[in-house]
This record gives sequence, C-alpha cells and structure tokens, in this order.
Amino acid sequence: MREATPEERRRFYAEEWRKEDIPSFLLHSLSMREFGFDLDGTGPNHRYLQFITAEDLANFLRIKAPYSAFTSVCLYQNPRQRDGWLKAELVFDIDAKDLPVKPCGCPKGSVCETCIMEAKRLAMEISDVLRSDFGFKEIHFVYSGRGFHVRITDEPAMLLGASERDQMIGYVVGGVVPSDFTITFGYSRVFRNRVADMLEKISDNEIRDAVKSRRVLAKIMAEKKRIADSLKSGKIDEVIRPGEIGPGTVQKLLSFIAKMNFQLTDGKVTVDTKRILRFPSSLHSGVSRKCMVIRNIEKFHPDDAMPRFLREAVG
Amino acid sequence: MLPDFYLPVLDPFGEEAKKIVGRAPPLDSMPGDVVEMAVSRLRWKAGESVVDRSPEAVEREVLSFYLMAQATASVSHPYSREVQFVAEKTRDTIKYRLYHLFRSGEADFCLKAITPSMKILTLEELSKALDVKFSEQDIRRIRELRLRKDGLREIDDHLLPQYTPLWAVRWQDLTQLLAHGRIQLTDLHLCRGWAVVCMRDIWDLYSELVAVKTERYIQGVFEKLQDQGEPHQLLLMVGERISRMVPKIPAISTSARWAAGSLDPECFPPCIVSTMNGVGHGLRNFAIVMLLTPFLSYARIAPSGKASAKISDFVKDISVVTKEIFPLIAEAAERCNPPLFQAQPQEKANVFYHMGFGMTVEPRLEESGRSKWYMVPNCSKIRASAPQLCKPDEICKNVKNPLTYYFLRRREKFRGGKRDNAGGNTGGKA
Repeated sequence: MREATPEERRRFYAEEWRKEDIPSFLLHSLSMREFGFDLDGTGPNHRYLQFITAEDLANFLRIKAPYSAFTSVCLYQNPRQRDGWLKAELVFDIDAKDLPVKPCGCPKGSVCETCIMEAKRLAMEISDVLRSDFGFKEIHFVYSGRGFHVRITDEPAMLLGASERDQMIGYVVGGVVPSDFTITFGYSRVFRNRVADMLEKISDNEIRDAVKSRRVLAKIMAEKKRIADSLKSGKIDEVIRPGEIGPGTVQKLLSFIAKMNFQLTDGKVTVDTKRILRFPSSLHSGVSRKCMVIRNIEKFHPDDAMPRFLREAVG
Repeated sequence: MLPDFYLPVLDPFGEEAKKIVGRAPPLDSMPGDVVEMAVSRLRWKAGESVVDRSPEAVEREVLSFYLMAQATASVSHPYSREVQFVAEKTRDTIKYRLYHLFRSGEADFCLKAITPSMKILTLEELSKALDVKFSEQDIRRIRELRLRKDGLREIDDHLLPQYTPLWAVRWQDLTQLLAHGRIQLTDLHLCRGWAVVCMRDIWDLYSELVAVKTERYIQGVFEKLQDQGEPHQLLLMVGERISRMVPKIPAISTSARWAAGSLDPECFPPCIVSTMNGVGHGLRNFAIVMLLTPFLSYARIAPSGKASAKISDFVKDISVVTKEIFPLIAEAAERCNPPLFQAQPQEKANVFYHMGFGMTVEPRLEESGRSKWYMVPNCSKIRASAPQLCKPDEICKNVKNPLTYYFLRRREKFRGGKRDNAGGNTGGKA
C-alpha cells in the first residue's frame, strides 16, 4: 500500500469517480450532512461544508481532488453551522491495523491482507448480531481502505444517544461477562461466541496478564480448542479441571477477554454522534484504495477497492 | 376490567391524566388535601399508594403528583438529590400499584396502561411473528435468573406466573432506560428487536420508565421557571417541605473535603483555578471535560507504576470518584455560564468517559478501563484550545503540564511546611 500522488488523485476524480457511486443512504440525505476535506494530507482541516446536490459535490471533488473526503454520520438542519442535530447513523469502526489479536503476527499498527480479511469477518459477525438480536435491517458495509465501517440507518438506531451507543458496543463485541452462559439466544450466545473466537487466536504472551501461574497458563494454551468449544456450546462447567483450571481462573480469563473485546472496534467512533467518516466512493490517498460501499461482503476482496491508476501501475 | 378514568394511577403522563391537568384549579385555590398529599405521597409505604376506584380519588392523585413534581422543580435543580428522591419514590409507587392490580386480576388493565409507552407481545405472538421457537430450557433458565435476581431459590404456584417469561417488550422502547443507566443492555434477552421478559420485569421496566419521565418533567418545569422568575409561593412551600424529607448524607465542609480527598486547591495552577470558578459558553466543554476532569482525577489518585493506567488499579472504592472528584467537577460545571450539565446533561456521562468508565452516569469500579482515562492536556494544547484560561504565573514558566505544576507546588509546600515546623534562624512565615 502506497500513497497516491496529487496527479493520481486528479486522475481518480476526473476519470474514475462517478456520482452514481455515492451510496443511496448518503445520497438521500447529502444536503443535511457536514462535509470535511483533507486537501493536502495534513488532516481534515476544511470542515463545516455543505453540498446541496451530488453535482455540487462532484464539481468540488473534480476541482480539488482532495487527499481525503469525509462526511458526518449525522444529519443537521444546518450542516454549515453543525446546528440542529437531527439523528445519526449507528457506526462500528473496525480498523484492521488495531485488531487486538492478529493471527498473522502483524504488529499492532500494521496491516496485511489477513488482517483485513479478519476485520471483514468481524464486521460480518457484528452485523449478524445487529440483525438477530436488535432486528436492524438497514446495515451497510463500507470498506474504509484499512478496515470496515458497519453503518446502520434503521430509524431507531439513528435516534440513539451516546450512552445507548456505548452499551451497544459492549453488547456486540462481548465486552461484559454475562450472568448466564447457556441461553441459546441473545447476549449469552454473543458473549460465548466472541470469547471462544478470541481464545482460539490469543497467544500465551497476551493472556499472561490474566493467568499468572505458568503451569495453568500452559494447560490453558494446550487445551485452547477444547475450552473454546466448551464455552461456545455453553458448557462452562466442562472448562473447569479440578487442580488445574479452577473456577477462579475461568472467571479471570473471561473478564480479561471481555475487556480485550472492547478493542475490537473503535468505541470513540460509535459514541460520537457528530463524527465525520471517510466518504464512501472517495479515495483513501494514504493507501491508494477506494473507500467504497460493499454490495456483497462475503465476496469482497481488498483488491476490489484498487483504483484504476494503481491497477495500471501494477499491471 | 377497570374503566379508563383509572389509567392515570399507572400513567401520570397519559391522555387521561392530561385531561385532569387541563381542568386543574389554579394554585391559589388548590385543595388542602391535595397539597398534603403532594408531600405525604413521598412517605407512602406499599399499600398506602393504592388509589380508591373513584374519579375523585384519581383526580386528587394526579393533581398531587403534578404539584409534587412542580414544587420539586421550584426549589431544586435537575439531577439534584431531591429530584432523584422524587423519581425513586414515584417508581416504587407505580411498581407497587402494578403488583397490586395484577394480583387483583387486573393484568389486562395494567397492560393497557403500559402499552402506549412500551409495546408488549406475548411470547406466543412473538414466536409466530418472527417464526422462532423458544426452547423450554431457555425459558426455564431465564426464569431461574430472574428468581436469583430477587434472591429466591424456589417459588410456589402462586408466584410462578410473575416469574415465567411469557412476554416480550420492544427493546427500542427501553432506550430511555439505557440512556439513564437504569438497565444494562447485556442483561436483556434479545431476539430480533424484542426482549423476552416476565411480568416482574415488565413492572420493573415500566416503573423505571415513569421515573425517568418524572425526572424529565421536573427538568422541563425547572427550565420554564428559570424564564418566569419567582415560582408561586405554594410551589416553594411544598418544595421546601419535600426537600426536608430527602434523607441526609453526612455534610462535608469544603475544607474538610480537601483534606479527606488529599487534593490541595492552594496548589492548583491558574488555568484550573479559572475553570473551578466557572467559565463561559464556548469554553465549558473543554474546560470541564477535557481539562478539569483529568486534572482532578489524576491529581487526586496520583497514579504511578503502571504503564496502562485505569482508576481501579489505584483505588478500591468508587466513592473516591463519585463522592470526591465528581462533586467538584459538578460544582465547577454549575458555576459555568450557562451551567454545563443543565444545558448538556450528556456531558455528565462524558466526564466519566474521560475517567475511563465508558459513557455512563453511574460508574462502577469493575467498568474502569472501558474507555481511556484521558491525560491532562499539555499547556500548549490549553493555550491553543482555550487561550482565555492560560494566565501563566512564575511556576508555569517551568512546567509544560498543569499536573506537573500541581505536584511541584505540593512538593514545595510540603518541604516548606517541614522547614516551618522545624523552625529556623532565617525568619519564616509572618
């Protein structure tokens, strides 16, 4: 992944970008959103902008060829003043570079294709919970260039305040140890799946803070798969091995993983109801990838977001 | 089923109640028994809250409720202990009445009162609508959890229907309760937008909802009263009587509190002193949330020895946060113009967010670390974001962060104090 040159940005907006690529959930409310731009790679310093039509926006993008383009998750009566807040999408931001556990071994802050595919899987799982538990239907996936945004536009979700959004994070990532591990639906199921998933990927280094005894740690690492399976199927009693893995250790382990789960998404993005997010259809110049709405998440591959100038360059 | 005129007994904000309020007498001619009831209802024990099944009794009930709420607003600010007390008593009243009516065979009437606020389905209806089947095992387990919550192990046939999850409420109708931290999302058993609940849960959820609405109503009246000037004498008189009923907590004088909290305001840097005195519109959020909150929490807790710090690593009692640090922040917020938490109540949760507890107004130690415990911004950041706060003195020249200033001055004061105590031959304090 490399930075796009000013010339490549100009080419992208002149030849490749089309206003038809703006997703309909944004197009319908374009004039009610705040826009922000990073024109030269120094940060989104041009804020409080409003575009009444997609044509106005298209002209701006073609003339300025910005380094990055952003739009607010919320709708305002007066976006130029960020005044008259009406409602905001519920957003979960999964950044591949910040995943707490990386099976590929990438250091935190780095991204490889495996990291991105892992982030994609997580985005799909979060979306499953939002559908099966909360009944949301209007769920949009956006590839941001280095991760995924899960954006929900169902009316009840858009009216949630910061506190409710904060509780949503804990729910979808499995950030709270529940009082039950057996119920086959709802949060109990979400937590079991999340913990089992994390446990399978976690390394002994990462788990050391929760389990001090080397002997117990070795036992847990050796039986990770069995423990994860037992947790997943709600058989927490089977995790306990008298003399080896006691109930106290299991409790500590669950609490540790629950806390770790909070790092799966960037909570600040979810609770901020005035956030600006990378504008789908725009170019992420830092990595030369298109920020784009994903129609079919299962089939999505990061190469789908490669702009034409880069395809031509790599042949 | 009971007639509609009785609905306000469970729903003081519903249409039937509004009709009564619409024909209420002026405050000058409010009947004496209504005035007494506005106060005495806060002393009610269980059965005393049951209202006779007559229109006159229901009218007295509604008028006394509104008099209680308006009187509270006339003497107390929103989020005060008075408001909390009134809201909790209202919740208890509504919950008992639901229980009483349910036991009197009026379950349908209860549901009729509740459904305008909370959509309810039977579990059977939900199963059909969603085409899902809830297993016996799950139902039994949810019942066990609910029994455990009430401290029960076994129940008789008489109580069984109250604890069996035979109902479902729409989760989006519960968002006000989530916003006020009165319920936790992870405690709900959700399926496609519906929470599977028992009758006891419905009583709890609905009575909490009425409590939240009461708080909001009082807030609305308070704001209106700010524009209207002096409230009516009757409201003030009743409000003061209510205020006297609020259980007292041991008073802590300002000086004693400094000592107890081991925070020394004499050592605060000028920017913090300015913030403590209250700041104006435009500066409030930065000064209170971004600057004062981390400053007081770090200064009080003085964390050291851990790279990734969270408050629970250093204190074992949440009251350090809720009773020492937060009241000081709240006092400073109140001194702002306009008062920060009145104008932006969500900023209260933001304060705890910046102390690492996530967005909540009821922090718990075990939740410490849910968000980042924000550091005190550096002087350069303060100068850039709020230049009005930066009035540097001599010590400021030698530090780059307000916290450094504080610890530096404390150390100097401590050393100076020791010197004073030791006495010397070069003078000392005048």
